[in-house]
Amino acid sequence: MITISGVTKIYPTGTPALRNVNLHINAGDFVSIVGQSGTGKSTLVKLMIAEEKPSKGTIDIGGWDITRIRRGDVPFFRRQIGVVFQDYKLLPKKTAYENIAFALEVAGETYRRIHKIIPQVLDIVGLSHKHNSYPFQLSGGEQQRIAIARSLVHRPKIIVADEPTGNLDAINAAEIVSILKKINEFGTTVLLVTHNREIVNHLRRRVITLHGGEIVNDEQEGKYRL
Amino acid sequence: MLALLRIIKYALQDIWRNISLSFMTVFILVLMLLSVNTLWSLDVLTKEAVGLVKKQVDVSFYFYAGANPKDVAEIKKYLGSFPEVVSVAVQSPEDVLKSFKERHKDESDVENALTELGENPFGPTLTVKTKEPKDYQKIMTAMNVPEYKNLIEKRSFENHEAAIERLQNIINRIEKIVLGLTAMFAIISFLIIFNTIRVAINTQRVEISIKRLVGASNWFIRGPYIVESFLFTCLSVAATVFLVFFALQYLDPYLAAVLPAGSSLTNYYNSHIFVLFGVQTTAVLLLTIASSVLAMRKQLKV
Repeated sequence: MITISGVTKIYPTGTPALRNVNLHINAGDFVSIVGQSGTGKSTLVKLMIAEEKPSKGTIDIGGWDITRIRRGDVPFFRRQIGVVFQDYKLLPKKTAYENIAFALEVAGETYRRIHKIIPQVLDIVGLSHKHNSYPFQLSGGEQQRIAIARSLVHRPKIIVADEPTGNLDAINAAEIVSILKKINEFGTTVLLVTHNREIVNHLRRRVITLHGGEIVNDEQEGKYRL
Repeated sequence: MLALLRIIKYALQDIWRNISLSFMTVFILVLMLLSVNTLWSLDVLTKEAVGLVKKQVDVSFYFYAGANPKDVAEIKKYLGSFPEVVSVAVQSPEDVLKSFKERHKDESDVENALTELGENPFGPTLTVKTKEPKDYQKIMTAMNVPEYKNLIEKRSFENHEAAIERLQNIINRIEKIVLGLTAMFAIISFLIIFNTIRVAINTQRVEISIKRLVGASNWFIRGPYIVESFLFTCLSVAATVFLVFFALQYLDPYLAAVLPAGSSLTNYYNSHIFVLFGVQTTAVLLLTIASSVLAMRKQLKV
């Protein structure tokens, strides 16, 4: 599903963010990537959603060699993976419904299909009653659930969640993780980037630890260890 | 087709949900167009006024009494052959006398003097009009040859020479000033519009990056801004047409003094409406689209 081979990323400033990272993630896995700030977690996410290109190495995601992806193909690739960010990245002038619909509209889905899919994903995240609310009318937890709903609309095989609980309190964070677990149970591969010790320890799933841009630990039923 | 409809929908949503920014953009465009039209009107007025003055300027050659009509006819033919000459009119001695009497009908001294003379003291008069005031110098030079010079008693050009020279200078300067103002205004307008649109797009840079991250293609992101540019252009040109014609209603009576009889700025705008506003629409549309595309280039790199 995801194969990262010998990836190194050095930013134009000369700072190496990742050094010779090798990683393989199977379909249906739930993997947590942990590490202190500045260890390369966000860079890894940026590489996986083709926001950045590696300086060295290859990344294969669901059959897409994204190290050689053409600029014009990036939107098509992004429609096949769901991404959830710490700051939710919702369009502020669109309602919850419109935010989710936008991801489908850019892919050319018909209105009939959009009207069918959106209630389903809103139901998964438990926010059917908030479809007409604008982001500023929603709490942080609700905004993140809308972002997850949006990431689900294309029925992606992979969901990349970059610090999805970073701005949330413990109760909302637990709710978000529970939604991600539910999504994983449907067969979607989930990649959770976090530095929330409690969540990682509670999950009891595969944990990859990054330190100084390198993978220093990779355990199948791991715990949060730095 | 579906994508186009969605792009139009997003554009309308953006305009409505950023109504104050949309209003400001249209307002700036209207101000720019009004200034362009003011400059344009000034140019038209200057040309019309100068044309009117040019028409009133002529040069007259007063022949000695008893000048041979054949000579006068020959000179008329000769001057008429100049490409710069618009018309050459000859007044016979009888006509000159008649108009002289008409001018002095209430002056008994003049009447008595003419009676005392017993004969017509005037020769024929030749009046020449040229296309440009500067062409009169050429006519004067042509008439300076001895065979013509000796037939002429007086010429009126000396009286006009200074005025014509000054008029020519004013025309040249006005044309330069209008050209300079137009160039300066074009640059200022471009900078104002470019920055207005850049600010509008910069306020939406987060939204643009989000759209990229959820898989929108560049054209899906650019499209609404291009549609918005089109709508802003149409709205601003329509508002300008309305304001220009509204202002002309009040300005025309004041401008009648400097315009030839029967013509007005309203008539000018009516007869040139498609060219005038067609050019302005095209220019503003190109300017707004180019500004949007340039301002968005950086944001679309995500």
